[in-house]
Amino acid sequence: MKKTLRMTLLAVGAALMLPAMAAAEPGVSDTEIRIGDVNILTGPASFIGQAVSVGSKVAAAEINAAGGINGRKIVMKTEDDGYVPSRSFQALKKLLEVDDIFALNGTSGTANVLAMMPLITKANLPTVVTTAPNELVYNPVRPSVFTIGASYEASFYAQLKYIHEKLAPKGAVYGLIRQDDDFGVAVEKGYERAIKEFGLKDGIRLRYKKGQADFAAEAVQMKAAGVQVLANGAIIAQAATVLKETRKLGMDLQVADVWSEIMPPSAKLLAPAGYSYLIGDYIAAMADPAAVKWMEKFKPYMTEADIAAVNRYTFITYAGLKIMAKAMEACGKDLTRACTVENLRKIKNFDTQGLTAPVSFDNERQLGGTAIKVYQINLADQSFKALTDYQEY
Amino acid sequence: MRTGHYKETYGELIALSDSGVAWAWVAALAAALVLLPLLVGNYTLSLAVSVLIAIVGAIGLNLLTGTTGLISIGQSGFLAIGAYTNALLATDYGWPVWASLPAAGVLSGAISLLVGIPSLRLKGLYLAITTLAFSFIVNYVILYAEPLTHGPNGVFLNDTTFLGLDLSSDRGLYYFVLGVAVLVTLAALNLLRSRIGRAWLAIRDHDIAARAMGIDLVRYKLLAFAVSSFFVGIAGGLMSLQIRFINIDVFGFLLSIEALAIIILGGFGSIAGTILGAVFLTLLPEAIRIVLSLFVDPQAPAYTKYIYEIRGIAYGIVIVVFLRFKPDGLIGLWRDVRKYFANWPLAY
Repeated sequence: MKKTLRMTLLAVGAALMLPAMAAAEPGVSDTEIRIGDVNILTGPASFIGQAVSVGSKVAAAEINAAGGINGRKIVMKTEDDGYVPSRSFQALKKLLEVDDIFALNGTSGTANVLAMMPLITKANLPTVVTTAPNELVYNPVRPSVFTIGASYEASFYAQLKYIHEKLAPKGAVYGLIRQDDDFGVAVEKGYERAIKEFGLKDGIRLRYKKGQADFAAEAVQMKAAGVQVLANGAIIAQAATVLKETRKLGMDLQVADVWSEIMPPSAKLLAPAGYSYLIGDYIAAMADPAAVKWMEKFKPYMTEADIAAVNRYTFITYAGLKIMAKAMEACGKDLTRACTVENLRKIKNFDTQGLTAPVSFDNERQLGGTAIKVYQINLADQSFKALTDYQEY
Repeated sequence: MRTGHYKETYGELIALSDSGVAWAWVAALAAALVLLPLLVGNYTLSLAVSVLIAIVGAIGLNLLTGTTGLISIGQSGFLAIGAYTNALLATDYGWPVWASLPAAGVLSGAISLLVGIPSLRLKGLYLAITTLAFSFIVNYVILYAEPLTHGPNGVFLNDTTFLGLDLSSDRGLYYFVLGVAVLVTLAALNLLRSRIGRAWLAIRDHDIAARAMGIDLVRYKLLAFAVSSFFVGIAGGLMSLQIRFINIDVFGFLLSIEALAIIILGGFGSIAGTILGAVFLTLLPEAIRIVLSLFVDPQAPAYTKYIYEIRGIAYGIVIVVFLRFKPDGLIGLWRDVRKYFANWPLAY
């Protein structure tokens, strides 16, 4: 009798608590769902954060215009981290504690998302990482973190494979220049893989310090090593300087570059060196039919400033929020973080309308959209033509 | 009202304070700090932790630059040494925090002696550039000594406890960092009223005259470097406990400049000024955010696009305006306010 009474009390207690627990889910009210975005909105890399914000904004506007997620509107809460990891931590802390977000779509750079990782894990915060597909982010797997994108390793491997098979003369000498950080390590892994698999001649491997401005000495070393194919792991202005210096020395090169060099401001810097360089990217280029269609469709959702800010990061963040929305929608009215994470894990072949290859998270790394297209710049108008379709490498 | 000082013993002369009112205020402040976690949310607590860590680091820099007159812009290097030492000892070698944190300070202090040696011949900007170069060397070593430091991959800290306090929780970390900040503040205050502190001040004012008075410049300059870097290393260790992930990007050059800004804005050479400077500069971005949100619609498109740049500009403007009108820093402002009320109604 006593036991039955205790069980009944427990059951009643649990039943009373359930609605309260559901209502207490952070960032969810009857009318809205708050989604966080920590990004680089100040400093030299702010063009990335602005593009990311436009992607989230457009996706949220589209979802809200279609009635929201089971009647709840998406509200974006954005914080700037200036690309400084300690500020990313504080920004996410604010989003969690003050703005009371439900999930995160927008996570800045690799070191930044890693700085936020303890908070993400502790809160079991559903997180889609769209701008830092680095192995450090998805290995080891954190249960609530899902990553879209190929690694720099795969990007460089894909380009070098293409160059080896289609562009480079037989017996060509290969060379690498890369930054001395986690990103540079990933680039070198791709280079190493290509060298080993295709038995290529490894002429020289150079490392440089982040922020270096002069690459004259490196160019001379590459020339001395007889480099004919360059894996250029420098970024934006540095990548342009590397190519400027090799051109000064009259080097005729096939060049593989980082995917940031597909963006118009980067292409403008790199093109004058006169190399028809390649890019391996998991996101559609601006001239790709999928990207053109996207721009036409979503122009009404954007201001002039938004349109000017659009680049590859916009497309991938847009896709990220759409995937998150699908997972949230599948939870029905009783939206919880646990349920969203569970549904994100079930995402299979999500169609991003060609902005990326179809995205699946139902794998042990919770990593999708890893297929890469190889593009080549057209020096005349600085647009990019796809040389391959999306392929896994 | 008290109008003067009359001391009968040396003990009274070097007491931290001879004013009962001052001690009463300190007690009230201590009570408020202890009760803070019960009154505010986790975000405010996290900001408080950042302020306390800034206080520890800035007190360290102040002993070197404000008190001894040796300008250093390499503090980010010492912070990195402290953070990496604490994180690596705790994560890779399983040291408890009561051992790894002091070790962070000791290693940072020991390495600082390498930078201290050039300081025996260099002053002013020449020394500043030497310390800057040192911070670059630290970055290189961390990146290239991969088997030891994890190189560019960084280090994640495991959850850790201290005397039953869970340091991965906001409240536990707050009490721990508060305790460290109080100990560092007391240590610095006591050092300044000892022979060592007076020797440092003498070196700052005129090192040749100090040597003529029998102060061993080699010993006291190196001691200043070691003690300062010990505190800065502790601050780095605390940073690693707060963020729980560190890599070299966390310790950018800007950190060194912010540390200098704290001691200049607070008031050169003053511990109280350093504390005020750390509170002011750490909370200024948050204050600007709150003030701006009161006057502008946060959803306005123009506002949302430029808000982050506006905040950055406002941050700079506040510092420039403040130093233009209050070159003695916050401690100067505090002294003016105190004098005004002490002399009231005759204040002018």
